[in-house]
Amino acid sequence: MMLIEYQSQRVSLWYFRIALVLFILQVILGLWLSINYAFTLPQDLVNVFPFSTARALHTNLLVAWMLLGFMGGTYYILPPECARDLYSEKLAYLQLAIFVGTAVTAVVGFLFGWTQGKPLLEIPLPLDWLIVVAALIFIANVAMTIIKAEVRTALQWMLLGGVTFLALMYLFGMPFYQNLNTDYYYWWWVIHLWVEGAWEVVTASIVAYIIMRVTGVDRKVVEKWLYVETGLFLFTGIVGTGHHYYWIGAPDYWLWWGGIFSALEPLPIVLMVVDTWMHVRERKNPIVNPLTWYYIIGLAIYHLVGAGLWGFMHTLPPINYYTHGSQITVSHGHLAFFGAYALLNLTIFYFAMPRLKGINKYQDRLGKWGFWITTIGMFVLGLVFGIAGILQTYLERFLDIGYSTAHLTMMFWFRVAFGVGLVFLAGVIITVYHLFTIKPSAIPAPEPVVAPASDI
Amino acid sequence: MTGKTARLIFWVGTLTSAAIFLWQTYDFHMQTPKFTHTDKLNEQVVAGKKVWHKYNCNDCHTILGFGGYYAPDMTKAFYRLGENNIASIVQHPDVMYKNSFRKMPQLGVSETETRQLVSFLRWVGEIENRKWPPQDEKFVEAYKLRESQPQKLDKVHLVLQACGGCHTFENQGRNVGGDLTTIANRITYDRQTLINYMINPQSVRPGVTMPPQDVSPQTAGIIADFLLSLKSNKEVSK
Repeated sequence: MMLIEYQSQRVSLWYFRIALVLFILQVILGLWLSINYAFTLPQDLVNVFPFSTARALHTNLLVAWMLLGFMGGTYYILPPECARDLYSEKLAYLQLAIFVGTAVTAVVGFLFGWTQGKPLLEIPLPLDWLIVVAALIFIANVAMTIIKAEVRTALQWMLLGGVTFLALMYLFGMPFYQNLNTDYYYWWWVIHLWVEGAWEVVTASIVAYIIMRVTGVDRKVVEKWLYVETGLFLFTGIVGTGHHYYWIGAPDYWLWWGGIFSALEPLPIVLMVVDTWMHVRERKNPIVNPLTWYYIIGLAIYHLVGAGLWGFMHTLPPINYYTHGSQITVSHGHLAFFGAYALLNLTIFYFAMPRLKGINKYQDRLGKWGFWITTIGMFVLGLVFGIAGILQTYLERFLDIGYSTAHLTMMFWFRVAFGVGLVFLAGVIITVYHLFTIKPSAIPAPEPVVAPASDI
Repeated sequence: MTGKTARLIFWVGTLTSAAIFLWQTYDFHMQTPKFTHTDKLNEQVVAGKKVWHKYNCNDCHTILGFGGYYAPDMTKAFYRLGENNIASIVQHPDVMYKNSFRKMPQLGVSETETRQLVSFLRWVGEIENRKWPPQDEKFVEAYKLRESQPQKLDKVHLVLQACGGCHTFENQGRNVGGDLTTIANRITYDRQTLINYMINPQSVRPGVTMPPQDVSPQTAGIIADFLLSLKSNKEVSK
């Protein structure tokens, strides 16, 4: 059995490798941020490398590695989906070079205070344009591959739609807005419509592809679910942006529309969990690598808990009035990003990287350690941030105690967070090491019963 | 469910939501002048917003609840801290947070930039955002009360408004510059020297870290009387 059908799928390997290195860097900077909270640093150090710079690095590395994962993943699944090689391998490498070059320049720039000063969208305007160029090359490459393909599938269009939507929204974060409320209005067009819109579409497509390939479940069934899921993701997610508009000086109806639509947001995720579970049960092929399954099921459940339930809990306006902008948001942010997108990327990596090395069944002992340490570690971290957040909300917003006093009580919890973060880092290092040095298993893999669906 | 139904769910769901959202966006722009008083959004305020971005304030501080969670929310900071305190903190964070467990970097913000930043924060404070954040509402109310009834100003209130950003008094205020009761018992200044000291500290005590206070001589007079009264009370009680 051929593991990869098209040579051009190999371009994704470098996307994955760089993404994994950036992931480790992101976690290290996260640990540094927790030290800032947990201890009092000397003024001289704060002047040179302030919290704001470290946070800009932590969040931008997150966006960078996840986007690299999505782009690499798209390049990996596109050729078999289209039954042809990528339109251009050279363009794919050029785009990677521009993207990584821009990211490195941005990181160095942050250290010297070169910033646009907008959280998560800190990179300065000239670099923004380079990112736009890279995104255009990416979309052109994907679109040309699809247009030139002999076969037409729903998944192709869903992927192209998702990545175009993603790139389009980025443009709204680039201008300078004079009015702060308008600034934040469009800031969320990038951030919210990414994570609760475009990224969900890409996720749903990639998960659908992997499930189809591994289980051998009929394409028609998988694509039907894909339509319903993405339809619901976008239906709830677009107006759901409103849950960020409660306190920015916007009309009253956002409370209702934002509240109701974001309360519905867990629905498509529940559907995704059910869908994944059904396909696993109805699979026609034997399980070759259980670890890939750990990641797919883990992704579905963690996505539901971290993004769905945790998000649901504090987007209702009467609750959000107290929890908005507190450590509870931090707890939700960590669980949601890890549950929905870090695990998705790791699922792609575990699906694609062994195949790119020609390994059908791999040794997964280390990988399982990595899986359990990171998933449990992040869950505990989410709880610790949650406790800090409940303390902060109660002291600051209910008892009306000053900000600093409320934060003093959190120092202990951030020391705990630092400890848990170290464990999490160990898990990440184990996972990345395992992915980089993956080896074939001595036990031969069982033969698949049916051909992977995309060959049809 | 057929494939056709599934596609219908996708298109109806996505397009309805997008249509509602775009209409709301249009309406948001129509109503923004009312909620944010765009008539007061002048060049000084816009320059202040640029300063806010330039020093990446938003990656430690939240504003309107968004940004870094490392430092306090700045939405109503103008009411909470007042102009002078904001200026002192921005320009001398190392002095203001000398005893604090949490540090703010010395960013080298210029005098002009500080004034622009204050204008920006003043304008932001006026955004009508349903009284958020809840813990700052008392500062907003107190500020508005002081503004509407200057004749009813209580002396303690006035002193805390002017000096409470650095000094404590009866366990209120921020303890950077010391307790006013202790200071009152230590100083040897007469009324006029105290007034001069408040308006230009360097002219009375060169090298002192206290920044000049933007108070009128009348207000400084009331504060001076108040401080001196603290002193005499103590002496009588001895």
